[in-house]
Amino acid sequence: MSSTRRQFLSAALVGLTPKTDRPIAGGFIDDGHLMGHKLRDRASFAPRKQTVKVPIVIVGGGIAGLSAAWRLHKRGFFDFVLLEMQELAGGNARWGENEISPYPWAAHYVPVPGKKATLVRELFEDLSVLRDGAWEERYLCFSPQERLYLHGRWQEGIEPLTEATTRDREEFARFAARMNEFRATGQFTIPMELGAKPSALDSLSMDDWLKHERFTSPYLSWYINYACRDDYGALARDTSAWAGIHYFASREPDEKGPLTWPEGNGWIARRLLEKLSRYVRTGNMVHRILREGRKLRVSSGQTDYIADCVIFAAPSFLAPYVCEDAPPVRFIYSPWLTANLTLDRLPAEHGFEMAWDNVIYDSPALGYVVATHQSLRTHIDRSVWTFYWSLADGSPSDNRRLLLEKDWNYWREAILRDLERAHPDIRQCVSRLDILRLGHAMARPVAGFLGAPDRVRLAKTSGNLLFANSDVSGFSIFEEAQYRGVKAAERALDGLDSRERWRRTNVLAATGR
Amino acid sequence: MPIVLFVSVALIAACGLIYELVAGTLASYLLGDSVFQFSTVIGSYLFAMGVGSYLSRFITRGLVARFVSIELMVGLVGGFSSAALFLAFAYTQGFRLILYAIVVAIGVLVGLEIPLLMRILKNRLEFRELVAHVLTFDYLGSLAASLLFPILLVPKLGMVRSALLFGIINAGVALWSTYLFKDQLGARGFLRISCAAVLVMLGAGMAGAERISQAADANLYADEVIFARDTRYQRIVLTKWKDDVRLFLSSHLQFSSRDEYRYHEALVHPGLAALPGARRVLVLGGGDGLAVREILKYPDVESVTLVDLDPEMTKLFSTHPYLATLNAHSLTNTRVHVINADAFPWLQQNTDSFDFAVVDFPDPTNYSLGKLYTTAFYRLLAKHLSAQGLAVVQSTSPLFARQSYWCIVETLKQAGLKTYPYHVYVPSFGEWGFVLAGMSPYEPPLRLPPGLRYLAASDVLPLFQFPHDMLPVDAEPNRLNDQVLVRYYEHDWREIEH
Repeated sequence: MSSTRRQFLSAALVGLTPKTDRPIAGGFIDDGHLMGHKLRDRASFAPRKQTVKVPIVIVGGGIAGLSAAWRLHKRGFFDFVLLEMQELAGGNARWGENEISPYPWAAHYVPVPGKKATLVRELFEDLSVLRDGAWEERYLCFSPQERLYLHGRWQEGIEPLTEATTRDREEFARFAARMNEFRATGQFTIPMELGAKPSALDSLSMDDWLKHERFTSPYLSWYINYACRDDYGALARDTSAWAGIHYFASREPDEKGPLTWPEGNGWIARRLLEKLSRYVRTGNMVHRILREGRKLRVSSGQTDYIADCVIFAAPSFLAPYVCEDAPPVRFIYSPWLTANLTLDRLPAEHGFEMAWDNVIYDSPALGYVVATHQSLRTHIDRSVWTFYWSLADGSPSDNRRLLLEKDWNYWREAILRDLERAHPDIRQCVSRLDILRLGHAMARPVAGFLGAPDRVRLAKTSGNLLFANSDVSGFSIFEEAQYRGVKAAERALDGLDSRERWRRTNVLAATGR
Repeated sequence: MPIVLFVSVALIAACGLIYELVAGTLASYLLGDSVFQFSTVIGSYLFAMGVGSYLSRFITRGLVARFVSIELMVGLVGGFSSAALFLAFAYTQGFRLILYAIVVAIGVLVGLEIPLLMRILKNRLEFRELVAHVLTFDYLGSLAASLLFPILLVPKLGMVRSALLFGIINAGVALWSTYLFKDQLGARGFLRISCAAVLVMLGAGMAGAERISQAADANLYADEVIFARDTRYQRIVLTKWKDDVRLFLSSHLQFSSRDEYRYHEALVHPGLAALPGARRVLVLGGGDGLAVREILKYPDVESVTLVDLDPEMTKLFSTHPYLATLNAHSLTNTRVHVINADAFPWLQQNTDSFDFAVVDFPDPTNYSLGKLYTTAFYRLLAKHLSAQGLAVVQSTSPLFARQSYWCIVETLKQAGLKTYPYHVYVPSFGEWGFVLAGMSPYEPPLRLPPGLRYLAASDVLPLFQFPHDMLPVDAEPNRLNDQVLVRYYEHDWREIEH
């Protein structure tokens, strides 16, 4: 009692702190769009200086590419390279680090995988995240997991409950019941390929489905739009109802999670890179893949790799720019912006304690994640916040243009103004603000994506140019990237096997190579 | 001209509503039960306004001068209402009396305003127009105030400054009125000087709002504050009444010098006396050195490692003459190593093992402190215990926070430890609980070190018996990813306070 009384007294009595805008350092982080645009514009690249023969080339060092490498290595196949355009691998699991904490640049968690997600569980056993059937407590997201700023206060959890009417609550309950029914059909699986069947739900948008089911609660609508923006970078009206439902009906965690780390999924990328660094060539953009008989010539910088098989794990839409053989890829990609804010003090708080994921109701952005949340310390007075913003409203190409046109000051102001609604003193706390612009952050599962011929063709490709990016599943989540990467690796090995190249590597493996 | 008049109507309406909201909000915060507080505050305020309106009929002459004086009085009483209420709550027993006195006083004065103003304006406008406009702006002002209050005023200014700001507005309207109605006003000089004086007083209040906050805070402690310091981690306050010195950390009582020996003897001896071979002891938390004082009563103990977050705390208890006497200079003893670090990460990077560990953290009042009561923490602690080693954990009250207490026991069990829960009566705390935990079975000691004030060897075994009202209840273990303990604790203490 005395504590709350004192806290209240000080909160009530000490109101106005003098506002002086402090300088905030920062800038844009290199996002590789300049290199990407060189591909788009078919710029000329340096002539080749050397030619290397290697059975398998993996293009792209994100989770899909690293997972393919993880699988090859685990199967005892060591004769491959992974080519990554950026200086640091990781893709959407890239990360950064400063004197306060490591922090994520994009994907920052993996839901606790259910019993059926065998590949994800296998990976986590390898990384000692799962031991003897028990999850390492330090890698599960600490309490409190989520909070929402609504009506001037922070509330626990992100389902908006503050001042919710009976009707709102009924709709949330009815929605949950509908999702349970969908879960029971077994069609909404992770990986999606295992359960997905052609579905009428894919022909309408999530928004239309909600209307059809007579859901009218503005709170529920906000919540579902938030989920679609968060996972797909799209509003509910631009999301296939099948995908929208998949978000809610695919997971049944047996443990309170999710799994997370200060640097988000960068932690997984880091551990994989530690194991696989000898295969990884960073700063190596692939600018051409040419078919030469049964082989593929992969040009990257001044090196040409002559490969039996290429696993294309970079975003699939890039493939037609580098390979004339590649099938057309007409996916829609959502543009995103993420920012890392260095806070050398924490803002004043009203309401529920700071959580891992902090969301502001009715904000165009997605809120922020606290990098120091997984710290074991009890006293934390500095932090790094990762601010997420999927530019979902408007056309993706217009928003991509906006991303590139506006300068850092513009985005810094937009971010601080958004945070100021919940943290009036945020400008006094931030010393640095770096921004990453992701023009093609993730494939967007629009209505019709499930049966789209481009997607089905990529998922089925056999031969020696295999596609492994999560966009083959239609949406970008860790589990899909890992699944596509592993499957491509296995298909590549099968292909080599059939050509009896397999024996050679087994001999090498046996001789301790 | 009229629009200027009506703006002042809106302003005084806003002021009136703000004072009402301040009173209602403060009463809710300080006394709880917001429905009751708001109902009674609004009710008595409206009633008082009615009284004021009735009284207005007795004012017959010098309308403008009266109006100006009333504005000044509203500004003064309303402006200082919030500060007065805070101080009344901190310093007096009669908070409710003062609350309703202020509410009624402001209500009467505000009730006088509009009738007087309408009479002042009656010759300037047609009656139909007058009533419509005055009341319209009255309600508009109220709307503005009711929106400003929660959105802007409370979060940005705080309650004390908000009330003062509107006091200044009231006084401003008064001053302004002496110009607006100068043709209806005789002697203006004195009124204007009064206005200026009131404005100066309210302005000074604004400047001193911080001091008022401190004054109110100090008096939330019952006794004389003999030491107070805000460190990076907490607020350390020592109070003294006769021979009773009390330590508060961030307003939570840590000990009373009158009975702390009960707590610390019970914390240390049931465990440590049962480990005759104990050489190395770890203390986590306990920067007051009082647990260490008890540990040093064992000559066989070779080293005591004390890990406390706050260097100011361990420094204070090493150097302050009274406090160092209280802990028998334990923190400067050569066998004792003081480390200022956050306990969980320190334990994570440390590889030593200990025969006995005292875990004496603040209660799990929030999710940050709750981390120190999790299965992950106790598993890590277990790794630092020698094969026969024991840990004792301060575990809040099994009487007042029964589910919290048994949650801590369950958490230790889930971490793979054998548990031996016990409790002791400490007058300044009430019934208090501890848990002994280790990998090996525990037998209560047959002998205790000499010179204890509370505990005799024969008293140890009964500590492990729990009467009916403290018997185990079902509780989930507390995990980093699902901190049930913080929720239990909040719930348990809420039950007690109501």
